[in-house]
Amino acid sequence: MRVIKQKPMTWGERLYIFEALRGLFTTLKHAARGLFRYEELPTISYPEGQPEVRNTYRAKHRLMLRPDGSPRCVACGMCAAACPAHCIFIEATASDDPRIEKKVKRFDIDHLTCVFCGLCAEACPVDALRMDTKKISFEHRSREEFVAHLEDLTNWDPKDYPDDEQSQVAPGGTKNAEARKVWGMEVK
Amino acid sequence: MDIIESKTWIEWLITIAKFAFCFVPVLYILLLIPMERRGAGFMQDRQGPNRSYIKIPYFGKIRLLGYVQNMCDGTKLFFKEMFAPAGVNKVLYYVAPAIPFAIVFLSPCVIPWFGPMVFEWGGQMVRIPGSIIDSDVGVLLLFGFSSLSAFGAVLAGWASKSKYSFLGALRTSSMTISYEVCLGLSMMGILLLAGSFNLTDIVSWQEHHVWGIVAQPVAFFCFLIASIAETGRAPFDVAEGEPELVAGYHTEYGAMQFGLFYMGEYSHICINSFLIATLFLGGYSVPFITTETMQAHMGGSLTVLCGVLAFLALAFLHMIHRYSKKLAATNLTNRFEILREYKLYNIVAWAAVVVLVILAFFAWFFYNPQSMVIGGVAVGSLSTALGTALIHLLVLVVKSVIFCWVWIWVRWTLPRFRYDHVMSLGWKIILNIALINLVVTAVIAKLVGGN
Amino acid sequence: MSNYYNMPKLPTENSPKVEIFVDDKPVMVPGDTNLLEALKAVGIETPHVCYHPYLPVSGNCRQCLVEQEGPRGRMLVIACYTPVSPGMKIYTPASSARVKNARKATQEFMLVNHPLDCPICDKAGECTLQENYMEAGQNESRMRPEYGKNYHGNPEHQFIDAKGQLRGGKHVDLGPRVLLDEERCVQCDRCVRFMRSIAGSEQLQLAGRADHTYITTFPGEKLDHEYDLCVTDVCPVGAMTAKYFRFQKRVWLLSHTPTVSMDDSLGANIWLDYADGHIYRVMPRCNPVVNRSWLSNTSRLAFQEFDKNRLPSMEVHTPAFGNGKIAIVAGGTCTLEDLAAIRMLKEKLGDRAEIFGGSLLKVDAPDGIAKSGDPVANRAGMKLLGFADVADFMKRASEFETLVTVNADLFGEDPAAAGVLEKINCRVAITPFDDATAKKATIAMGVRHWSEVQGTMVNSLNMLQKLNACPVCPDENLWAAYQVVSYMAGSKFEAAADAFKKAGEYAPVLAGLTYDAIKSTGKLLEGGEA
Repeated sequence: MRVIKQKPMTWGERLYIFEALRGLFTTLKHAARGLFRYEELPTISYPEGQPEVRNTYRAKHRLMLRPDGSPRCVACGMCAAACPAHCIFIEATASDDPRIEKKVKRFDIDHLTCVFCGLCAEACPVDALRMDTKKISFEHRSREEFVAHLEDLTNWDPKDYPDDEQSQVAPGGTKNAEARKVWGMEVK
Repeated sequence: MDIIESKTWIEWLITIAKFAFCFVPVLYILLLIPMERRGAGFMQDRQGPNRSYIKIPYFGKIRLLGYVQNMCDGTKLFFKEMFAPAGVNKVLYYVAPAIPFAIVFLSPCVIPWFGPMVFEWGGQMVRIPGSIIDSDVGVLLLFGFSSLSAFGAVLAGWASKSKYSFLGALRTSSMTISYEVCLGLSMMGILLLAGSFNLTDIVSWQEHHVWGIVAQPVAFFCFLIASIAETGRAPFDVAEGEPELVAGYHTEYGAMQFGLFYMGEYSHICINSFLIATLFLGGYSVPFITTETMQAHMGGSLTVLCGVLAFLALAFLHMIHRYSKKLAATNLTNRFEILREYKLYNIVAWAAVVVLVILAFFAWFFYNPQSMVIGGVAVGSLSTALGTALIHLLVLVVKSVIFCWVWIWVRWTLPRFRYDHVMSLGWKIILNIALINLVVTAVIAKLVGGN
Repeated sequence: MSNYYNMPKLPTENSPKVEIFVDDKPVMVPGDTNLLEALKAVGIETPHVCYHPYLPVSGNCRQCLVEQEGPRGRMLVIACYTPVSPGMKIYTPASSARVKNARKATQEFMLVNHPLDCPICDKAGECTLQENYMEAGQNESRMRPEYGKNYHGNPEHQFIDAKGQLRGGKHVDLGPRVLLDEERCVQCDRCVRFMRSIAGSEQLQLAGRADHTYITTFPGEKLDHEYDLCVTDVCPVGAMTAKYFRFQKRVWLLSHTPTVSMDDSLGANIWLDYADGHIYRVMPRCNPVVNRSWLSNTSRLAFQEFDKNRLPSMEVHTPAFGNGKIAIVAGGTCTLEDLAAIRMLKEKLGDRAEIFGGSLLKVDAPDGIAKSGDPVANRAGMKLLGFADVADFMKRASEFETLVTVNADLFGEDPAAAGVLEKINCRVAITPFDDATAKKATIAMGVRHWSEVQGTMVNSLNMLQKLNACPVCPDENLWAAYQVVSYMAGSKFEAAADAFKKAGEYAPVLAGLTYDAIKSTGKLLEGGEA
């Protein structure tokens, strides 16, 4: 442990008036900047202007898709197990596709409970759950609408992720055709 | 009838028109609120309130640089339901907020808004003082008025039937009393020098000698602190200290009752600013130029005035232009809306520049009091007097606005004092400094002036 | 029938204690058992895959290796097949790096052909292989990085093994209830041994050799046996999966309630695994005396009907019993608490009331595994509390004017009896289900099912066993049967313990007992034989 002793105030500081004047000068500088260099204020006019979101920002979730458009999720429940807020609800079922054993039937994320820690995306063994949508604002009319269902989570456009190869594999992406070839058969 | 006939109609007209100055503090509220809110924003690197707008058909939204917000707030306060807590003294409760607000209309009466107008009318010299009441005890009258506003706070605190309000009221009354003493004493020096309680005399003394702030810097400093404390603003706003007293004496007030307190406070700031400007900053007098010089070159003076205004308009245009350029480069979804609004300001400002330049041109080349005759009456002298009054008034306004800004500036910079610190500052420090200053001033005045 | 050759001897309370040296420290262990059980008795867990305490030892997984000091130096031996002898010197991984490495190598070798699909495996969370890996393995994989990690096979249910060969069998339909995934199978042959030695019907076999060994049925045959779901329990990995539970719930999300199956008088000990207010599966609870680790399909799958066709809660009221004779018939699933309440009601009504217990279903012979064949679970309890047999009632049914059935579906059990029973005017049915008796009843009152109440039962071995309430009742307002009956008798039992105390008044063997005194494996009552 390091103890940092507070410096005792000097005589001038104890007099208050000079320090007060110094403070006044500081605020005057800021006020002058606001008045004469209004455009340099760091504030963003929020709903009209959106803040820049980085790639690593943990935003709203999405579920990655296989080349045939089905969610990549295998309903293993690792995300739900990792979730500290218990906001992920998964139900699994056997898949109709013979190549896939288990598929997801229900995948709900309650964004009102979610703490956006990103542990779910970390836990996913198949890289199905990602938080890179850059959607940072959630506005809905009712509590129920804040629960993202399977359809919401898989409803994304590969064009929004031009640099991400895995996203381009999904239907509509640039790599979808060759991925389908690798994937093999056309899936009903 | 004799009184009426003792003056010419133009004299009566100007005398009555001067009563309009009663409304100056109220108008200042309209200036002070946006200044405070956006000033606070700028000091904290925020933008301040700027989102409210008026929708104009066929044009779009107009935000008036955030000014609409204040209209909205005022409208809201005005239309809110007024109610009283159960068990209060209804009469006192409803009367209390009106007191500080009523004072607002009395105080401006003694402030000299311009130098005495002296002009020739119908062959005789007419002299009209710059204040509504040209009293020989003007300063005392002003203090009397502003002390009255404490009644509002005390009554409100008493009538609210709330401990917070009551404590707030006690603090307000004790603070007002303490700092009135400091105010009066610190002002004594300048009164001593001017040798009069008449504010017009004090201003003319400053005009012909030196400004009060130069002659009495210590007194100025004490007076400034004391008047900030007297208005009950930060850092001396212990009477409504939120951490302790919720909102002090107006805890139980809402809607326009609260609005009246609020407006009373701002008007108080305005009046104190005028008082400081009058006592220590030469009042209406234009720096470095005597009134006589200015009147002798009225055309040039008006030209300079127009030039200054045109320069301000150009500065505004420059800021708008720079910000528009920056805004156009962003991808705000509403940028075109704002740019269109700015284009409107551009047009208005350019129009103002053009008008001002034309006015300056005419003032420079064609202002000739000797040749001004309307309907056989020579109005040259009157127009010079009016022009002087206009310049005086504007100068006073500029000075007072600077002090209003000081109020706001101090509020958003310094943290609030503790109550006992406020009291000890008032009684133990400011009062003593003011006393010493008075004694020293008296001695020096005796030694130098001899009278 | 059963083949008990090589059956491990398990330590009992009466086992002789012998001294052996574990890691050079002397410890006292049971002397008549194998080393694995002996070490377990002193708190040393040995990882194992193929060993099962109620199956013959085959010793093929080599996971339970320990070192033993012998005439030729320290040798690696398997703990599960080495009998304890006094003075033997044993070295566990705590002191021996060789044991540690050997176990780790065995583990790695076992995982060579095991896919890394734990995320979609139903066994994950209760998998022996996972536990062993955490305990003895923890090795980095030396396989191709992506090997086994694709959670999709190909349309022919094939998989690629560690050698790169394409093999089938990812999705083998063994029978009506069991699926086999050959990729996950570690060839421990527990299932084979279970079917051979316990079920007594050798339906599963190991086929092939070496790393091509696989589990299969005889050609054209299916795995279909009353106890075939037990192979999913004994399977240490996720190779055998029960179709009814496949992908239903991850096992770590399940909560467990220990209770007793009330559809057979053996009273097989079970776990009710529930989550979100539903029972997802029933697992056997180990009780060495009663059902060991086994559970019949009937008992196991019965839970699927527990929350169906239920009577709703309603205001409980006492019916007017009239002046005629009253018969109160307790069904097989009545707990001792219910019986005590019925007895109380009878004593309130006086001599005109008679109490009967049992069912009209026929009694089968015991199968020797986990069923006694008697559908009346609490028959011993009825005997204790002085209930006459229901057959007695059927003979004299015409004497009665009122019939109160508690958990007894007389109409459903024997449709032929309906003619006799319908002659009784007032029929009160107290039952969880909207069954035939409830439909025919003049008054039907819904109560809680036995899985949702606390209680006790006495099984055919005269063991007092405890039922616990599983919080899955579809209607929170439902009362338990003993509450309804005792309410009719005039003083409602608020807690099951009160009713159990009352039962102690009627049956001297139960007097003085409390729920806490009954162990989870039951309590042998006086006069019974284990």
